[in-house]
Amino acid sequence: MKDPELIIIGAGPAGIAAAVEAARAGATVKILDENAKPGGRIYSQLNDGFKLVHPGYLGPDYQKGKALLSEFAAVRKKIDYRHDTLVFGTFENRIMAFHQAGKGQRVAFNKLIVATGAYDRPVPFPGWTLPGVLTAGGAQSLVKMQRVLPGKNLLFAGTGPLQLVVANQVLDGGGTVAAILEAGEIDNWLKLLKGFSRNWGLLTDGLQYMRAIRKAGVPLLRRHMILEARGDRQVEEAVIAEVDKDWRAIEKTRRILKVDTICLGYGLVPSVELTRLVGCQHRYSPGLGGWIPARNEDMETSVPGVFAVGDGAGVAGSAMAMSEGRIAGISIAQSLGYISSEEARKRKRPYLNEMKKLGRLRDALDRISYPRPGLFELANDDTIICRCEELTLGDIKSAIGKGTTEMNELKRMTRMGMGPCQGRMCAPAVQEIIAGQTQTPAAEIAYLNQRPPTKLVPIDVLDSLPGEFEIRHGW
Amino acid sequence: MEYRGDDMTQDLRIWKDVQRGQAFDIEVDGRPVAAYEGETVAAAITAAGIRTTHQTVKREEPRGFCCGIGLCYGCTMVIDGVPNRRTCQTLVKPGMRVQTQKGLAKWEVPE
Repeated sequence: MKDPELIIIGAGPAGIAAAVEAARAGATVKILDENAKPGGRIYSQLNDGFKLVHPGYLGPDYQKGKALLSEFAAVRKKIDYRHDTLVFGTFENRIMAFHQAGKGQRVAFNKLIVATGAYDRPVPFPGWTLPGVLTAGGAQSLVKMQRVLPGKNLLFAGTGPLQLVVANQVLDGGGTVAAILEAGEIDNWLKLLKGFSRNWGLLTDGLQYMRAIRKAGVPLLRRHMILEARGDRQVEEAVIAEVDKDWRAIEKTRRILKVDTICLGYGLVPSVELTRLVGCQHRYSPGLGGWIPARNEDMETSVPGVFAVGDGAGVAGSAMAMSEGRIAGISIAQSLGYISSEEARKRKRPYLNEMKKLGRLRDALDRISYPRPGLFELANDDTIICRCEELTLGDIKSAIGKGTTEMNELKRMTRMGMGPCQGRMCAPAVQEIIAGQTQTPAAEIAYLNQRPPTKLVPIDVLDSLPGEFEIRHGW
Repeated sequence: MEYRGDDMTQDLRIWKDVQRGQAFDIEVDGRPVAAYEGETVAAAITAAGIRTTHQTVKREEPRGFCCGIGLCYGCTMVIDGVPNRRTCQTLVKPGMRVQTQKGLAKWEVPE
């Protein structure tokens, strides 16, 4: 089979919007997505076996997702869409390897769009590895897609609107929420949201959910954080406290809540494993979630022909993700000669306008809810930081004490980031820990180098890969 | 594991707004646990009140479901004799055997 003109990794809002625009213009497109169905996290669809009786509980996102997915269905025949397919590495000469149905496969890429999304920010604090501590996104996947409550008495702790959305879904499903802790100044972002249009998806939905949470009588504690989870083999209680503007605990306000489940929603971190692997330049942008690929106005990265769109290129929500995806799809259709530059300009215009509008809100929101230093100071010396290799803050500090100020050296000294999660659950925090310990701005601390496989792949899948793979120069 | 503190007296499923598929049991550490077509192993055990999925290699600490999207490896268990399976990414099947994983665990090599 001929190589496709465009490969898109990820079938969330950004990836699908890009595919729709490129395929509509005439390009041959291949999509590789890890999930069973298109839609990504936000527009995810129920597994086969479940039957949706009342879609109302899925919220306004469901309707928006339906609109995008029906656009996708209209061009679906022109797209080679592979679900349950994991891209786990890219190599020299623009070759990538993926795993589908127990087999390793390879494909060459010319134009590539990386739309790999984001994941919940890992925040180490004493007890965060106990069963019963989960991410807000993890809780949402259970409640929304599996219709199971994560526990009997839940505490939400974090910042921003996602935890409100999930708490509301728990209440709607008949669950009990003991309290919601917002580390930041919730009143500020509420005021801010009221000044903007309804385009921001999640955030305006968050406002509606807020009203429902008030109605249910769940305490929403502003400027509060979780300090510790305690329990014998699983969560039995949470230590919480009021925090100052830097999110540092005010000790005299420390108290204990009896809960069996703690959901953490401290924002999202972009999944940049593949853009790093391809060799794109990245910059550190705390407001957008951490390391993000540098891009031009067409969403193209520093590697020619490689584009990055959606939350995986900077966390900014589904509306922004779709606009970015469409712009990348249109730009690629133009560069492949399917549409004129004038036509491309015309098609891009509404999405550029949308992005300008959303960008202003994003900037304002950053100032209010990006993580403050106190968030990275919760761990004590015995707190696990790297969950896979079971390294504590003490272990990391002692390696730093031996003179290392760099993540890759730290990795070689301690095995930090070398377990199955490949640093996803520790590196964002370690970056800030090194910054704090060495009094260096986090942006100046080089991130973990990426190596394939980016996720666990069975050894027989690696064995079944056809041909040779050359590791990218400059690793 | 000797003590795990699971309260298995309540079903945590939400029955509102969806219909579930075919019902069957899976086996978790030798006990029957209710499951429905379309559920992940993580969802079925969470619904049954089972929290600990594995015990870590070095510190022998309990771990459980965490990210829900297959990247933290907190929810890994031994499924049908194969260790390190992510229960949040694995759908239940009739006759499935699930075990709490201790450390690295052992692979059951089929005859």
